[in-house]
Amino acid sequence: MNWMRQKFSTSAIAVLTTALFCGSAGGQSIFSDDWEKFLEEKVSFGGFIENTTGVSISHGSRFFNTSNRFIMNRFTVQPEFNVEFHDSLKLFLSWRFVAEPRYSAETKSREASVQPAGSGGPLPVDFWSEYKGVPWEAVADIFPADRLHLRLGRQFISWGETDGQRLLDVINPQDLTIGPPAAVNLFDLDETRVPQWGLRMLYTIRPVSNTIFEFFANPGFEPKKQRVDEFMPTNDIGDGRADGDLRYGRWSSHPEDRVPVARLLATPSGPVPVVVPTFSRDYPDAGDNWKIGTRLTHNFGELNVGIGYIWGYNPQAGDMVFKTKGIGCLPPATGPSCRIGAAGPFLPTTVSANLVNDRTNIFAAHLNYPIGDPLGIPIKSALRGEFAFYPSKPYNVSEFPARNCATGQVLTGALAARAGPSCKHSDNLVEKNTLRYALGFDRSTFIPFLQDDPWRAFRMSFQIFQSIILDHEDGIRNFGHASKIKKVTTLLTFRVGTGYLGDTILPDVFFAYDPAGYYAVNPGIAYQPPWNENIKISLTTVIYGGHNKYSGLGFFSEKDSVYLKLRYQF
Amino acid sequence: MRVTMPARNFRSSASSVPNNVSIKFYLFLILGVLAVAPWTIHAADPDIKPGETIGPQNWQRIQGMVGENLLSRIKSGYTLQIKPTKIYQPLKEYAEATEKYSGKVRLGPDGELLNYVAGQPFPKLDSGDPQIGQKLAWNFFYRWLGDDYKTGGAVKGGKIIRAAIEKDGSERRADLVSYFLFPSTRYSLNPKPVIPGYEHIDYIQLRVDSYPRDASGTTTLETRYKDPKRADDLYIYLPSIRRIRRATTTQRCQTLAPSEFNLDDINSFNGKITDFNYKYLGDKKILANISQENLPFARKPGDYLPLNEKWEVVDTYVLEITPKDSNYCYPRKLLHLNKVTFDTHWTLIWDKRGEYWKEQFGFFTPVKLADGREVWSVGDVVIVNVQNGRSTIVTATRAYNQGYPASMFSLATLQSIMRGGSIE
Repeated sequence: MNWMRQKFSTSAIAVLTTALFCGSAGGQSIFSDDWEKFLEEKVSFGGFIENTTGVSISHGSRFFNTSNRFIMNRFTVQPEFNVEFHDSLKLFLSWRFVAEPRYSAETKSREASVQPAGSGGPLPVDFWSEYKGVPWEAVADIFPADRLHLRLGRQFISWGETDGQRLLDVINPQDLTIGPPAAVNLFDLDETRVPQWGLRMLYTIRPVSNTIFEFFANPGFEPKKQRVDEFMPTNDIGDGRADGDLRYGRWSSHPEDRVPVARLLATPSGPVPVVVPTFSRDYPDAGDNWKIGTRLTHNFGELNVGIGYIWGYNPQAGDMVFKTKGIGCLPPATGPSCRIGAAGPFLPTTVSANLVNDRTNIFAAHLNYPIGDPLGIPIKSALRGEFAFYPSKPYNVSEFPARNCATGQVLTGALAARAGPSCKHSDNLVEKNTLRYALGFDRSTFIPFLQDDPWRAFRMSFQIFQSIILDHEDGIRNFGHASKIKKVTTLLTFRVGTGYLGDTILPDVFFAYDPAGYYAVNPGIAYQPPWNENIKISLTTVIYGGHNKYSGLGFFSEKDSVYLKLRYQF
Repeated sequence: MRVTMPARNFRSSASSVPNNVSIKFYLFLILGVLAVAPWTIHAADPDIKPGETIGPQNWQRIQGMVGENLLSRIKSGYTLQIKPTKIYQPLKEYAEATEKYSGKVRLGPDGELLNYVAGQPFPKLDSGDPQIGQKLAWNFFYRWLGDDYKTGGAVKGGKIIRAAIEKDGSERRADLVSYFLFPSTRYSLNPKPVIPGYEHIDYIQLRVDSYPRDASGTTTLETRYKDPKRADDLYIYLPSIRRIRRATTTQRCQTLAPSEFNLDDINSFNGKITDFNYKYLGDKKILANISQENLPFARKPGDYLPLNEKWEVVDTYVLEITPKDSNYCYPRKLLHLNKVTFDTHWTLIWDKRGEYWKEQFGFFTPVKLADGREVWSVGDVVIVNVQNGRSTIVTATRAYNQGYPASMFSLATLQSIMRGGSIE
């Protein structure tokens, strides 16, 4: 794939160069008439330039107070080219250049506040910046036959129809460093996902019934990226520098979580009731992150259904698990009691673990169906459903109350913990059959008294997501924040949006609610001036809450923020 | 403000020429066309002559022949010139299909069409027929539109150009393309008259937004079924999430902002025929432009009126459309149907309070088929919301009979769209 990437890069630079040369108004082009004609008729150019400024509005904690409250000041330029070489061959290329100045106050704050004290380090100043020559997207669309479509290159492949949350849309990884979670009004999904090199094939078996066979192969080969903002507390030290720096991002977990999470992986060896974690992100090697999938869709009358299968590398952050690498003592302590010498002080136990992506099987299905006026009831909604069955999906598992697995004794006194490593599963991993599904209802509704144009509809979307661990076992936990995963977990979402004054003002609110007691609200309002279709100014807020800041959406409760985004499209 | 049509502009039963005589005359004309010769559009009003200029000084001469909003603009200073009426040659294949199949076509109890295959369903119209309104509606729906077409295909750049104009004159532009396939009423391209397997489908429309960038790549696939009880299918591909979403078409009234159109305003009237009641109000001469010369027409920035286009006198049927659903947005809509092509030149809309709401005029322009024959296509279409002062202009000239494969009109195509990309 390296040769392919290099080739695409070369092609892209060539196209960019030619476009730049030919854009000189009034000057004589260095190209022949044929080239000029080709560029004029077959090459189109677009994209956007954008600035996003974010300000923290929550009270923060001593670990995440960023001192100055600017939490984002990001400049993005994304040029995009379409080249139509032939009816059966087209090329799309885009680059994404991102620059985000950092603030020394922020890094100093983090350096001073992480645990263990003094072990933290500042984030690299160019952490969020991207100036790579590798295209963000580079796809060649090839149509070798009437009903056959091949897409080759770095691309997004999306299944499913859910809004704001993902269920079947699990093929491309999501870059959780780019924005806060559950903030669909801040960044589009295609900005927050990571495109991957691969092949996608669509063959239309019977067009009239939308009977389509799809196959994709995704060999991965994405360069490793330090994703400290993934909400798992990776606090990555496996960045190749092995400098031991603990790194926190804007939306990484509370560092306090690391201690209880470590206690789920190891029991203190000595009397010090602390386990110091050393967590690394274990990226799969080339060849281990392949993913292939296939899907068949068909219309039965008004019902559109699809069944599919995905095998291979699962890039989703929420599905990652810790694999314990070793248990030891904080140097210079040694021995079974983690003591310095024979009579020195006791030091904490250490545990090192890798955060790994699993290789997964997903049996997928989707449906959608328009509901009109059954029994005279004006439902007038589009119903959609998605289903994903994960056989033998890995989970981290613990035990309550914590025991000494060697003796079977429940830990007491200072060593007592609410939960500890599983004695039944020595690697703290279990595999469980898991069903995830989502049902959504989309409807456009007129609310005349709320509108300047009574016929400008409000778009409403309601969704329910459930994850069911069919052979659930007590002790299964989300090791990202050490909280239990119940047999059934639920998330409800509601979204409503409309437009005012000829769609110059566009409000949109996304609301997510977990019946376990957590919520997120993401209201946004955009202004598109009536005198220029290329300008868009949007103000977006993300607010989180819940009864427990170490679990669910409450996890982000100290990360409420507001963003002003200015975008110019060209 | 309710617009009333002056009686002198309708050829009602009180006029000097009885309706049935008028209808018979045009039937004779149409049948003649079907048999041998070209369809002809006549400028028959002796009062309005080619070369005349209409302006504030003589606006009364065209009162009732244009929408009230345009008339008020003329009173305020806008002038227009009259030119001879363009004469089009008909499509022989359509005429042959009409002759071959129309004899068996009937209306069902709910106004649905029975035994229809192709061509004009009801070439023989009788003004005394209580069902003439319904028949006119079907003639409008099954007017000749080619076997397929690309809207925007006959404009330089190959795209529909849409300008949404605010009351203060500020404008926003959008570009898109639209592809229509009529798989069960094909006259020129094989297989004909129907693509096997598509007997139950009237049309499939594929629409792709291409400008501005954030909308670019948004694609809709809409299918209209012959079954009067089956709602349209609508799928939308959203580039921001790179996925296809199912949408309902039941809310056909919603404004497609920032334009002033809604789903049923497309092609003047795009509602399901059986969802409405129809009443024939009479014949009428109106001012239109069926030979637009410049695409898009020249205009002042921020204004929707053409500067250098001349107008023609055209004979039309006036068809009143009222919804069966009392909650529908347009309680009354008037179409002015060209007596030969059955395209709409003027569309007038009232709101639930009975006040004048929107008026739409569509220009037409000659375009050529691949074999060189000249046919007509919509050119620029203007819709004005007289209540909020907003207007929308669409330059939407069609390229007919492009031979698009049916496989292009499927969900697989939606998944092959990139931002700014085309689908051909």
